[in-house]
Amino acid sequence: MNENIFTTVCPGCSIACGMYVREKDDGAIDIDWRKDAVVNAGKLCRFGVRLSANLKNATSRVDGNEVEFSDAVTAAGKAIGDGATFVSVGNTTCAEHLALMKLAESKGAVVNTGMGAFSTIPSECHPTMGVGIPLDAIEDAKKIVLFIDPYEQYPLLVRRILAAKKNGATVTAVGWKAVSLADENKTIDPANYESELALDSDSVIIAELNPSTDPERVMVLLNLAKASGAAIMFMKPFVNAVGCDLASKKTEQKSLDQIIAEINDGSIKTLVCLDSDLIEIMPDETAVRGALGKLDNLIVITSRASAITDVAKIVVATEPLYKKAGTVVNAEGRALQNSGEGTDGVDAIGTMMGQPVGMYDEIHAALLATLGIDAVDERVVPAYEKPDYAAMDANPTAEAVETALVYAGGPFFWNGIVDDNDFVEMNLDMVTANSLLKGIPAKITSDAGEAAVKFKVSDVAPGVVLSNVKLPMTTGMVTSVTVSR
Amino acid sequence: MDIGDCYVGWATDEDIRTRGASGGLVTAMLAAALEKGLVEAVVVLKKIGEFEAVPIVTSDPEEVKAAAGSMHSVPIVLSRYLEYGTKVALPAKPCDARSTIEQAKRGQVDIDTTYIVGLNCGGTMHPAVTREMLDVMYKLDPEDIEGEEIDKGKLIFETKDGKEHAIKIDELEEEGYGRRESCQYCAVNIPTMADIACGNWGVIGDLAGKGTFVEINTEKGIAILENAIDAGAVEITPADDKGKAIRAKVDGAMMNVAAAANEKHLSPIEGSHLDYYMNALKDCINCGACKTVCPVCACGETAKCTEFSSASDTYKMSLFHLVRFVHLMDSCIGCGQCTDVCPVDIPLTHIYQRFAVPMQEEFEYKPGMDMTTPPFFGVDLIED
Ligand SMILES: Cc1cc2nc3c(=O)[nH]c(=O)nc-3n(C[C@H](O)[C@H](O)[C@H](O)COP(=O)(O)OP(=O)(O)OC[C@H]3O[C@@H](n4cnc5c(N)ncnc54)[C@H](O)[C@@H]3O)c2cc1C
Ligand code: SF4
Ligand code: SF4
Ligand code: SF4
Ligand code: SF4
Repeated sequence: MNENIFTTVCPGCSIACGMYVREKDDGAIDIDWRKDAVVNAGKLCRFGVRLSANLKNATSRVDGNEVEFSDAVTAAGKAIGDGATFVSVGNTTCAEHLALMKLAESKGAVVNTGMGAFSTIPSECHPTMGVGIPLDAIEDAKKIVLFIDPYEQYPLLVRRILAAKKNGATVTAVGWKAVSLADENKTIDPANYESELALDSDSVIIAELNPSTDPERVMVLLNLAKASGAAIMFMKPFVNAVGCDLASKKTEQKSLDQIIAEINDGSIKTLVCLDSDLIEIMPDETAVRGALGKLDNLIVITSRASAITDVAKIVVATEPLYKKAGTVVNAEGRALQNSGEGTDGVDAIGTMMGQPVGMYDEIHAALLATLGIDAVDERVVPAYEKPDYAAMDANPTAEAVETALVYAGGPFFWNGIVDDNDFVEMNLDMVTANSLLKGIPAKITSDAGEAAVKFKVSDVAPGVVLSNVKLPMTTGMVTSVTVSR
Repeated sequence: MDIGDCYVGWATDEDIRTRGASGGLVTAMLAAALEKGLVEAVVVLKKIGEFEAVPIVTSDPEEVKAAAGSMHSVPIVLSRYLEYGTKVALPAKPCDARSTIEQAKRGQVDIDTTYIVGLNCGGTMHPAVTREMLDVMYKLDPEDIEGEEIDKGKLIFETKDGKEHAIKIDELEEEGYGRRESCQYCAVNIPTMADIACGNWGVIGDLAGKGTFVEINTEKGIAILENAIDAGAVEITPADDKGKAIRAKVDGAMMNVAAAANEKHLSPIEGSHLDYYMNALKDCINCGACKTVCPVCACGETAKCTEFSSASDTYKMSLFHLVRFVHLMDSCIGCGQCTDVCPVDIPLTHIYQRFAVPMQEEFEYKPGMDMTTPPFFGVDLIED
C-alpha cells in the first residue's frame, strides 16, 4: 500500500493555488491541502476541492479508435503539415507550450494563445496586461476596484480583498451583480471611470482578460490605470495563461473568433490544440462544433478528456498536469514548479518534429532565461518590467441590451465541470415583471433557441440574466433574450 | 507489562534516536509494527520542507523512519487517511486520536485493527503564520531555519549557523502569532484515549531529550510496544515517580492555560446572535472544504448538510452551515481543520465550538475520549 504524492497547482484558473494530488496504487486520485503554499495557504475553492471529480484523463485516439500513445504521436506528426494553425491558451506547462512553439515555428506558424486583445492593443501594454501584482499587494491597497465578481470568478481573491478591508481599504465593485464585500456597488459608464472612481497610486484595479474580452474594454481599463497611477491586475481563466503569453510575446496572435472564422471560410484546414478545448472555452458551443466539423484535421494534444476529445481526428493523450515536469506562471507572474517528472507532452511534440526525446531540459532552461531567473522559487516573484504606455482611444461596445443573458465566467464555466450552479440569477423586478414563480424554471429564449433554467433572485443589474454555466441558446458572452414562465 | 505502566523508552538505532523528537521511540515502534507484520500500513507525515509535510499511508518502513521528528507547523489531522479493514498504526496527537475514536463510533474505522500511538500535544501552528512570525517577531529568514523545538514555554528556532533563537509563546500569541486559536483552547494534552501515550514531558536527567515518556493505555498499547522490544528496535526503563509528577504538573498547567484561552476566545456573543452568524458566514463561497476536511464527519458525499442545501436556493447563511453546526455538536473536537482550509478565512472552529461546548457540557460528554455512545445516538425517539 503506497501512494504517490505530487506537489502541484490547481489547474482551475490563473491564481494557480498550491495543492497536493495523492495518487493511489489503483490510479485513483484525491487532492490534499498544501498549507505551506505561498499563493493560497492551502485554501482552495470548490473547483480545487472537487478536482478529482473534475479531472478525466484523455485516451489516445485516431479516427475515434483507441490507439497506443506512440501511434497517436506518429499519426499527428504526419497530419501536421505546413499551414496548420496552433492553439494553446495556457492549460498546460510552459515547457509544453514552448515545445509547441518550436513545432509551430518548424511549420512556419506561431502558437495562438487565443487572447485576441494582445494583437489589437499596442505591445508596450502587453507586460501590464500579462502580469498582475503579487496577491499580498492587494492586501496593502487603500482602494480596490473590482470589475469581476471575485466570489464566482476568482474565489481565492476574496480573502485578499477582505484582508485589505481589514487594513482599511475601501472596495468598489463595477459589474453586473452586487458583491457583498464591496463598500459600494456601481454601474458606471466607462467614459466616467476616472471621475467617478477617483483612484490613485495606492489603488488596485482587478479585471479579467479572457479570449472573449473586448479589447476596447481592456484599453479603457489600461487608460484608467495610467491616468490614476493605480496598479492593475488582469485575471485570466487558465492556469498558465500568463506563462503562455510571456513565452509567446511579440508573435502575431489570432483571436479564437478569428480562428473559427478562418475555419469556416476554408483557410484553416488543420488545427492543433494543446490542452485547449474551444468547445468549452468559447461561449457559442454550437458555432464552434459546426466549425470544428469542417476541418480536415483536428489534432488535440491534451491530458484531459473533454468535449473536444470526442470530436478530434487525432487525440494525443498526455499525462495529467499534476504529473508533468514543468512550470506554470500565475496571474501574479509567480513561477510555480510541479514536483512531477512526466515529459510525455514535450516528448510527443518533439517526436512530431523529428527531435529526439529529451527536449525538456533545454526547453526549461529557455523558460528560465525568458523569466530572467536561475531557478524557480515560488516565494520570489521574478522582476517584470512594465513600460509606460500612451493613452489609447477606446470605444467599448455597449454590452447591455434590453434583456441579456450574460456569462459570469470563471473556473466553473471554462472547465465544463459538474457543479450545482445550474441556475441563472436575476433581480426581483425582473422576476415579477415576467411572472416567474419559485419552483418553476424560467424560460429563456433567444434567436438561437430556448432553455428552461432554474433561477435565483439576486442583486443583479436590471435586464441582466446572469449565468455561471453555458446555456444552449447563447451566441456570445452577452446574448439578447426574453424571459418568460 | 500492564495497562497503566509508564516507561521512558528510545530507539536502539542511533540515527532514529537522533532524528526523533525525543528518542525516536515512536518511529521505531511504528516501523517495527510494519516489519513484524503487526500492521499492514502506517500513516505518517512525509516531510517536504521545514514547515511542510503531507500525510502518507505506507507499508514501507523506510518511509516511516524518514518521518522521525515532530513538526509543529504541520497542523494536519491524520485520522482522515485511515481505511476501514486495514491493520494500521498512526502517530496521533489528541485530535488525531479523538477523531479516530469518533470515526470508530460511526463505523468508519475498525478500532480493533487500528493502533493509536498517541503524542502529547501542546499545539500546532499554521505554516503561513510561522513564516510571518519568523519575519516579524524573530527577524529571521524562514529559509534559514533548520529545526525547532518547544522548551519551558519558549518556541526556539535553530538557524543553519547553529544559533538558537527563543521567544516566549505567550508573547508570540499576544501578537497574534504562535499556536492556532483552536490549539490555544484545546484542553487535551495527553492522549489518554490512545493505545499508548508518548511525549517528552516527564523525561528527566540524562535521558532528557533522548527518551520518550510512554504510558500504556490498552492491550493494543502493550502489543505495539512489546512488538518493538521483541524486534530489538526499542529499549525501555520504568519511569520514575519524579518524572510522572512533573508530567502531571505540566499537563495541569497547560489545562489552565487552555481554560483561560477558552474564556477569552469563546466569550458570549454580544448583541444579536443572528447578526453575528450572518456576518460571520456571509463570504462563504460554498466550496465544501470545511466538510471534506472535518475528521469527525462520517457522512460522505451525500449528507444532510449538502442535500438540504443548494446554491440555487440559499441565503448567505445557508442550510449547509446550519445543519452542520447542529449535527457536529456532539462530535466536534475543535481540531481547527475547518478554519485552516476555509478559503475566505471564516473562523469556523470557533463557531462550531460555540455550538459544541455548551452541548457537550450539558450532556457531560466529551467526544473522542473513549468509546462511549454519543448522547444523540442514545436519544429514544419513541417513549415507552
Ligand atoms: C505538534 C506536536 C506537539 C507536541 N507537543 C508536545 C508537548 O507539548 N509535550 C510533550 O510531552 N510532547 C509533545 N509532543 C510529542 C513529542 O514532540 C514527541 O513526538 C514524542 O515525545 C515522541 O517522540 P519520539 O522521538 O518518540 O517521536 P518520533 O520518533 O520523532 O516520531 C514522531 C512521529 O510523529 C509524527 N508527527 C510529526 N509531526 C506531527 C504532526 N504535526 N502531527 C501528527 N504527527 C506528527 C511523525 O510522522 C512521526 O511518525 C508534540 C508532538 C507534536 C507532533
Ligand atoms: S479554480 Fe482557481 S481559485 Fe479555485 S482552487 Fe483552482 S486555482 Fe484556486
Ligand atoms: S487541536 Fe489540540 S491536539 Fe490538535 S494540534 Fe491543536 S493542541 Fe494539538
Ligand atoms: S467542525 Fe472543524 S473543529 Fe470541529 S471537528 Fe470538524 S474540522 Fe475539527
Ligand atoms: S470552507 Fe469556508 S467557504 Fe468553504 S464551504 Fe466552508 S465556510 Fe464556506
